[in-house]
Amino acid sequence: MTDELARWAAARGPALRARAEEEAVAVLRDALVAAALDERGSPQAAEQRPEPREPEAEHEPGELLWAYCVLSAESPHPVHQPGVAPAGTVEPIEAAGLTALVSRVPRAEFGEQPLRRNLNDLTWLERVARAHESVLERTLEESTIVPLRLCTLYESDEGVRDMLTREAPALLGALELLAGREEWSVKVLVDPARLAEEARSRSDQVKALEGELAGRGGGGAYMLRRRLERQVREQADSLARELAGQVHAQFEERSLDAVTRQPQNRELSGHEGDMLLNSAYLVERERVSELQDLATRLEQDHRALGARIELSGPWPPYNFVPAGTAAVP
Amino acid sequence: MEGRSLQNRTGNPLPGRPSEATNLADILERVLDKGIVIAGDIQINLLDIELLTIKLRLLIASVDRAREMGINWWESDSSLQSLGSGDGGNGARQLEQENRELRERLERLEHALGVGSESQKGSKK
Repeated sequence: MTDELARWAAARGPALRARAEEEAVAVLRDALVAAALDERGSPQAAEQRPEPREPEAEHEPGELLWAYCVLSAESPHPVHQPGVAPAGTVEPIEAAGLTALVSRVPRAEFGEQPLRRNLNDLTWLERVARAHESVLERTLEESTIVPLRLCTLYESDEGVRDMLTREAPALLGALELLAGREEWSVKVLVDPARLAEEARSRSDQVKALEGELAGRGGGGAYMLRRRLERQVREQADSLARELAGQVHAQFEERSLDAVTRQPQNRELSGHEGDMLLNSAYLVERERVSELQDLATRLEQDHRALGARIELSGPWPPYNFVPAGTAAVP
Repeated sequence: MEGRSLQNRTGNPLPGRPSEATNLADILERVLDKGIVIAGDIQINLLDIELLTIKLRLLIASVDRAREMGINWWESDSSLQSLGSGDGGNGARQLEQENRELRERLERLEHALGVGSESQKGSKK
């Protein structure tokens, strides 16, 4: 008996270990997602993290300048709007015919060390990301802007002016490219149940299998059912692919440039259904209404799939600025 | 200038919606990964921040389902590939790398806990 157990264990051991390992990775992943989401919900949770605080960084005195975006010195921009830190409102710094919008932030929170820690706190990150985005959106209402990535920080006004002067050719080039154009975003979402239903009704193979299945029982029926399920899934996937491709092609046709992104995670975005497309388009302002009409039409065309075509914009043109002149350190 | 405000055609019908209504994933995928990168006086490489990237990759991307369906355009989006890996490669390779890192991490954890053992070494499929 013991021998048998030992043999069994020896034979099954590696497979079991591999499975346990897979499960552990899945658990780890879920735990990370849960932890990240929790932190976002409750600020106290972030406080409780065991990470050691760095007292010397906490007391770093002074201020830094957080930069949001760059626009032509002639373009209007909003004044006195709140920035990423409660203390400093947004202000302009000019050089080389350009304006950088900046706000003063405490070094104790935004210095290199505290910043590294804060970026890992999703509550903090969300607040800062939303504030950054909000400054960009307000400015975009009146002017063409070049959005800067999060965490572009300077020691002094002089540092910002140096940057504007140094980067003027690239910045002016980007502003010229973006003038009169807008970034719009498209998401395609489908209801997986309706997609499967539609796949079922459109496929002759599926119908044939269903016919065969009707007259069967026992083991044969089980195998047939498995084949049927696979067939429906394949058909549904191909429908999804076709829909995403078709929608993207039609938006792209009306745009100057297009970028496709990874579909988003439901837990963060809160969307319902399967996201098939997550893309951005750079479009002439006069053609925006065409995009709106197109979205409405496509959604009607694909009503049977429970499809939603979500068009949003104009976004700060994050996806259509050059990657940058500074190699990320 | 109401008409110029960012609006969601569906989902949120309010024009010029307050920023709290915007999906966080929409904002993070832009502000962290896009936008012009210009040298600042404080040098922070967002992609070097381990916890941040692990979390965000899990949070922003639900790639598997899409790849299953054969949708994988983003794999040729060069700017996206910089997310975590630095110099190109494709999405699948990144995932493999990530998977490998997770496995290694798991092994270290197991080792520290005194579970798991030598068989990890030679027996990768």
